[in-house]
Amino acid sequence: MEQPILEARSLTVQRGGHRVLQNVSFTAQRGEVFALLGGNGAGKSTTLLTFLGLIPPESGEALAFGEPVHGNVDALRRKAAYLPETASLYPHLNAWENVRYFLSLSRSPRPQQDVAEAFDQVSLAVDARDRRLESYSKGMRQKVAIALALLRGVPLLLLDEPTSGLDPVAIDEFNALITRLAGEGTTVMMVTHDVYGACQVARRVGLLRRGEFVGLFEAPADGMISADELHQAFASSHAG
Amino acid sequence: MNPVFHIALDEWRYWRRSRLGAAATLVTLVLLVASSVVTYQTVTAERQARDQLQDAAQSIFLDQPARHPHRMVHYGHYAFRTPPPLALADPGVDQFTGAAVFLEGHRQNSATFSPAYSGPQGIRFANLSPATVYQVLVPLLLVVVGFSAFSRERELRTDQMLLAAPVGPGQIWLGKTLALVGLALVLLLPLLLLVLLIGEDRLAGLVLVAGYAVYLLVWASITVSVSARSRASSSSLVVLLALWLAVCIVVPRGASTAAQALLPIPSKVETDLAVADAVRNLGDGHNAGDPAFARLRANLLAEYGVDRVEDLPVNFRGVVAEASEADLTKVMDDFAERYAGQELAQAQLLRWASVLSPMLALRAFSTTMAGTDLAHRHQFLREAEAIRYEFVQGLNRAHASELTYSDDMQRSRDAASEKRTRVSPTNWATALKEFHLQVNPASERWQRAFPYLLLLAVFAALAAGLGLSRRTAKGWA
Amino acid sequence: MGLITRELWFALRERTVQVTLLVALFSAAVAVVSGLKTVGDQQQLIEKLKTETAAERALAVAAQVDPGGTAYYGFHFTYAPPSALAFAALGTRDTLAWKHRVRMLALEGQLYEADTGNPELSLSGKLDFAFVVAVLAPLLLIFLLHDSEAGERRSNRHELLRVTAPEGRKLYTVRAALRAALLWLALVIPFAAAALLAGAPGSGIAVVLGAAAFSVAFWLLLCRLVVSRITTGPACAAGLLGLWLVLTVVVPASGKLLARAKVEVPSGGELLLAQREAVNDAWDLPKQDTMDPFIERHPEWAPYRSIERPFEWKWYYAFQQVGDQVVEELSRAIREGVAQRDLMMARLAWVSPPLLVERWMTGAAATDVPSFQAYEACVRSYHAQLRAYYYPLLFEATPFSEEAKALVPEFEPCAREGSA
Repeated sequence: MEQPILEARSLTVQRGGHRVLQNVSFTAQRGEVFALLGGNGAGKSTTLLTFLGLIPPESGEALAFGEPVHGNVDALRRKAAYLPETASLYPHLNAWENVRYFLSLSRSPRPQQDVAEAFDQVSLAVDARDRRLESYSKGMRQKVAIALALLRGVPLLLLDEPTSGLDPVAIDEFNALITRLAGEGTTVMMVTHDVYGACQVARRVGLLRRGEFVGLFEAPADGMISADELHQAFASSHAG
Repeated sequence: MNPVFHIALDEWRYWRRSRLGAAATLVTLVLLVASSVVTYQTVTAERQARDQLQDAAQSIFLDQPARHPHRMVHYGHYAFRTPPPLALADPGVDQFTGAAVFLEGHRQNSATFSPAYSGPQGIRFANLSPATVYQVLVPLLLVVVGFSAFSRERELRTDQMLLAAPVGPGQIWLGKTLALVGLALVLLLPLLLLVLLIGEDRLAGLVLVAGYAVYLLVWASITVSVSARSRASSSSLVVLLALWLAVCIVVPRGASTAAQALLPIPSKVETDLAVADAVRNLGDGHNAGDPAFARLRANLLAEYGVDRVEDLPVNFRGVVAEASEADLTKVMDDFAERYAGQELAQAQLLRWASVLSPMLALRAFSTTMAGTDLAHRHQFLREAEAIRYEFVQGLNRAHASELTYSDDMQRSRDAASEKRTRVSPTNWATALKEFHLQVNPASERWQRAFPYLLLLAVFAALAAGLGLSRRTAKGWA
Repeated sequence: MGLITRELWFALRERTVQVTLLVALFSAAVAVVSGLKTVGDQQQLIEKLKTETAAERALAVAAQVDPGGTAYYGFHFTYAPPSALAFAALGTRDTLAWKHRVRMLALEGQLYEADTGNPELSLSGKLDFAFVVAVLAPLLLIFLLHDSEAGERRSNRHELLRVTAPEGRKLYTVRAALRAALLWLALVIPFAAAALLAGAPGSGIAVVLGAAAFSVAFWLLLCRLVVSRITTGPACAAGLLGLWLVLTVVVPASGKLLARAKVEVPSGGELLLAQREAVNDAWDLPKQDTMDPFIERHPEWAPYRSIERPFEWKWYYAFQQVGDQVVEELSRAIREGVAQRDLMMARLAWVSPPLLVERWMTGAAATDVPSFQAYEACVRSYHAQLRAYYYPLLFEATPFSEEAKALVPEFEPCAREGSA
């Protein structure tokens, strides 16, 4: 088996004096969409921030491309893009300017043509692109942020509740996009509390509950993870 | 209990628990008490020192030996400006004006030795008189404590629970403002105590405190109203701080600079030169032979039916001195009044900026009530001038009646005549009245200060309107 | 796009930055223009008073035939011209005298006239460039920076920025420094233009530019320290305002109180009373009681010490001088006290950057207390020149021709550009 792109090895993390992740282990392979599913306070965002190298693990390891991420943020930055929950880019800039600014920050400028294509991919209305983000709806802002993540052209995407605020049509488009990217070899890890959303795109779903990894669901080779099954597991893990 | 009080009490509880509000309040209180104590000590010492100097000047004058009266005209006297009792609360312009005037014949000297002369210099508005602390720093405290009164609840969405309670937005505004006003009133206690402690001029002092209360009410309402109209605490704070900066720092300075540029007034040296020019043809009162006094001589000779000044029953030189002083003083008074008028007009221009800055309105009110405004400085100069004129003319009358013309003419050459021209020191006491600068009656000060209080009340009403006119529930999102 | 160009572009798109920079530019421009006007007015006034005093003196002494009368009626105009940089820091020029009309009488009675501006205007103070730089600029910088990190956190951009930009948290420092630099530019552009217009010396301009840079840099540092430790914008603002208040108001004000308490300065009233006694008592004292202390100071006039008539001009001016001698100690004590207090403020300025900045600027502009004292010293030395001119005429009773009259020393301002 080839080396996983992402790997958590007995990951334990403390935040603000509380242990929020406890002995969590999982892997995500190249070209795979891996979802972490959990309720409020399950430790989803903490996992993501740990993989971004922003929080040091107390024990265990978070590896990306085979390297521990902590203390190695610079290397990761070139290979990973992050989409924060309810991403709000700069409201005083328009879509072009926002994307251009962040791409410049990450030292990965892209020609205008590519940016326009990315906007097309996330179906951001053409007439909205020259308006400042302060006039955007929540979903439109999310689209710009997704476009930005795409434009980074990196092999790893870390997404925090990527579909929140998107309407059903946009969610379908987003799912299609993610599936296509994965098919092209991009690894995607997303955290979500949306059971059905997770089933739509993820080949594997890990279930988190109060910082502990309580289950792993894999899609059969010819289909998707059963939403009902996942929902049942999610509900029972939270009932207990 | 009325929900308004509930809201107010709840706000107090929040401040007590948030370290920011509690710390800021504590620091301000310490500053207030410290500034009151220090100002009380320094101004009291100053008052005593000036009173003592005044008494000393008085007794030195009265203790002078027998002399030619005109010598005493040039010996002169000093008038010291003793700060009024309420200068303890608001020293006003006193720090920049001369503390003493030398009073002598034929001249109106300007005041000398302002406290600024020997005072340490640096950042002008860094002075911690109670007035400055209340005018500039307490508003800042109210802003820092109250900027999130509404916006905080909006961010936490607790506002919708309040509205669902159901409490009207007006009631919420009132409750929050009441809480802030309550804090302001607590902060006013040191000033109230100071005014009661001063003892003198107590009624005016209480009115003064009332003025500060209205001023702080303005700030409390502005703070809560801006908070009510802001989406987020951060924007509420920025707007309020910008307002504070404009009202307390930029507008007063800008207006002062503008008044200077728009309505320049001549300097004292220019006025002195103009006076010298105007009196050049009045004749020298030291020289009875000056042709300027020919008419006076003719009238006097006719009145007494004699031919020569030597035969007059009065000393013609004294008569000339008195007449010449009167003419001279008239000219000098004209100039002094014109100058005072110009100074007032310039200050008035600055005070017009009160419509932009409640702080300027309060300062006008406060210095007027305390008796430390420009008008009171002019009053000092006028009263000092009155004393000057009176003792100079008293001495000139003694000059006319107590010695003879021939002795007076001979005295530079003849020692015996010289001796006879010395008049008794009892004349000093009749000529010189005691000088004790009294501040105007409180009612008169109140009349002049009232418009500014009215303006402050208008500000308070506008600020309240800003908060209450906010659209209800819908405007909350 | 380079880091600097990109962040510059980014900053200039931000509303807060635009507004604050405009406010800074506008206040600096207003301060500089009104400063230039004030200084221009002072220069005009000096020229006017120079000619007017001379004309008045000509009229007043025309009829005087002896040096005594000429000295008595002849006033001379003395002044401290504003330096080329005075427009930037008006300093004490509205509260301490920079012009006096003096004559040959006892000098101490003529020096302390509080001929200054309208006290009600002084109470407000002036909006000069020094004020803008020392007091206003820190507030503007606090406006600019207080929410710079907390705002990013609030909008969920903090993590995104950290994983996107290789600079990591340094990005905030770059942004803050760039905004501070922009603020500095907005402040000094109007100043630099005016300074060139006014022909100010390069060293003085450098001091002012440096002072502005120091002020901005110091507050940049403070802002960074606070902003990177406190996570909400309002708390940052409150903390920074507290620091501003302490450094700008509380420390200087306490320093003034301390300087007053620590350094006794004799009251001017005492000096005035003492001098009047000395001058007036002379009329009643035996003439030699006046002449003895005078001759002690001026042994060269010993041969002329005897006074025959009840009134002689040389005796009159001798007792005027003795009047000054009597209060010499008191006068020196006052001057030294004032200098001592200023020294204390200078030391204190090291813990109050706004005060330090103001002092640098008033120093460069020669509008500080030492410059004021230098002017007083200048008047003293001119008065001594007058005495040196008149004494031979009075004592040797040399014939007083119109030519001799014309030789009376003219006042020349003592050169004092800023102590850069």
